[in-house]
Amino acid sequence: MKKAFQIPDPAARAVSAPPAPASPSRRNFLRGVPVLTAAAAIAPTPAIASTGRQQWAMLIDVRKCIGCQACTVSCIQENAVPEGSFRTVVSTYSVKLTDSAQPAGTYVLPRLCNHCDNPPCIPVCPVSATYKREDGIVAVDGDRCVGCAYCVQACPYDARFINHETNKADKCTFCAHRVDAGLLPACVETCVGGARIFGDINDPEGELARRLKEAQPQLKVLKPELETAPRVFYIGLDERFTGKVEGQGTLWKPRSLPHA
Amino acid sequence: MNPNIVETLNVAREVAWLPWAVQYFFLIGLSYGAYLLSLPGIVFRRPGWAGISRLALLGALVCGLAAPVALLADLHQPGRFWHFYAYFTPSSWMSWGAFFIPVYLGGLLIYAWLAFRPELARHAASGGKLGGLAGVLAYGGHDSRGALKAAALLTFVGAGLVALYTGAEVAVVQARPLWNTPLLPLQFFVTAFAGAVGLALLFNRFGLRDAAASRRMAGVLAASQVAALAVGALCLALGVSGISPVHVQALAEVGPSANWQLSAVWAVAATVLTLVLAWKAPGSGLLIGLLALHSAWMMRWSIFIGGQEVPKTGAGYYSYALPLGPEGLLGIVGTAGLWVFLFVLITTLLPLDRLAAGTPDKAAA
Ligand code: SF4
Ligand code: SF4
Repeated sequence: MKKAFQIPDPAARAVSAPPAPASPSRRNFLRGVPVLTAAAAIAPTPAIASTGRQQWAMLIDVRKCIGCQACTVSCIQENAVPEGSFRTVVSTYSVKLTDSAQPAGTYVLPRLCNHCDNPPCIPVCPVSATYKREDGIVAVDGDRCVGCAYCVQACPYDARFINHETNKADKCTFCAHRVDAGLLPACVETCVGGARIFGDINDPEGELARRLKEAQPQLKVLKPELETAPRVFYIGLDERFTGKVEGQGTLWKPRSLPHA
Repeated sequence: MNPNIVETLNVAREVAWLPWAVQYFFLIGLSYGAYLLSLPGIVFRRPGWAGISRLALLGALVCGLAAPVALLADLHQPGRFWHFYAYFTPSSWMSWGAFFIPVYLGGLLIYAWLAFRPELARHAASGGKLGGLAGVLAYGGHDSRGALKAAALLTFVGAGLVALYTGAEVAVVQARPLWNTPLLPLQFFVTAFAGAVGLALLFNRFGLRDAAASRRMAGVLAASQVAALAVGALCLALGVSGISPVHVQALAEVGPSANWQLSAVWAVAATVLTLVLAWKAPGSGLLIGLLALHSAWMMRWSIFIGGQEVPKTGAGYYSYALPLGPEGLLGIVGTAGLWVFLFVLITTLLPLDRLAAGTPDKAAA
């Protein structure tokens, strides 16, 4: 199901958003993602326990990630994410080594919305615009969101932001529009190192369930103490990076946005 | 900070609750604080309080009317505010807030109208500016004590709910340890009340300059500063001693930052200075009034804007630069402008010095 490397195939992208023009207007943006809007229009449903139906999840094998940011770029392309905002990114750290001739090594950590099973972003939404789909994907109903950003505050993973083109809450959707059409999320499709595995945790035959089972003893999630029950699992997650990273702040900042 | 880890690439998340939110929390806090200050003179008719309470009620009104505009502006989809009423969500404090605000403001408008009706009639009779409008608003100018007390009670409930939700809404955000402490609502309340006293002091200074009223308010302000210092000390003690894990986390989040250390020293110094001046030089109404307002605003700025500068997963701190447009400076200037407009409008009908004189109580008694 997963290929080690794949050049984006235009045919496979037929149902997804076209690559974003340099400065897509809001109208173009909305027109570009009909599948997403259709999915989001489905009536919100309360969080469900596993019902034996599909429950989408992701496994990230940090050991295989090469920090190339192909996922970051493909996500921006696929979802027309405005400049300066990110639905996924590979946080990169330089770590001093003590047990090697090299002075320092690089640690990479792909981050995205964890599609938590106990998501703190949902109860705070004052208009129930954020909800959990039956398949486990945490989604935002763009027709209902008032852009209050309470969910942005409540997410412990900095996964959410206000999209300056739509003025609504935005975050990773697990590429719900692609998944609904039987495709993999864009980041998984483009992952160079084969580090991202996506699938249904309820499908015992599936690659995801098999790999999760194999890796069971070393599986970790981010900020487990918050009991958010993330649906993004990691292999090779260093203890020092599971929460707020103690270290020197980022050396890089996005160019400040040209606010309207 | 661990010197062995340097973050080389990550996302810097922008502040999502803008300076508009700071303005909202500041104004609504001043409003409910000033409402409380209006009670002794207007409802309980405590001797020496009539002028203070009328000035405070004016402040409650001006701030209360300006606040929701700032709140709306903080929404990125202000035109959808009706969604709050169409899609009530009981799990969200913000959703409850949408219902508490009208209770408070509705009560406040009725209460203020009942309290100021005789004054409006007097203004109309004396042929003051916009006297015709004042006459219409006075609607007979009766002083109806029963109705006034009922409206004050409704407003009291509304004010309590607003104080509760504005505090709880922020304090429940587990993702931000700085906000996630049970004492935060109390800190909002104490600084809001102190700011309201400061506002009434300013009104007094620019109105009648009633020295006795100024001294009385200075006493209340001094007490509020003692309370603010006590709550602050309690937070610090809980954090340093390790008794309360949430306070330990809150402290750990900002303790190492030089900016935060400066803010903390600044806040304590301003509070102590206000306390000492209010106590030793109660005549310095203008200065202590401004100091109290400044502390109330700075506290909210640090909590909201400063709090959002702390990354939830990344290392170090994000740095916020105040943008000049509507999402930044213009928002602050805009709310200030609206405030001044409302102040001028209301004080045209109800001139400051007349409110400060506090005669109608005697007339009605
Ligand atoms: S990672 Fe954040 S945005 Fe995603 S489901 Fe969890 S709390 Fe919500
Ligand atoms: S920004 Fe939108 S999705 Fe987020 S809490 Fe507000 S209304 Fe809900």
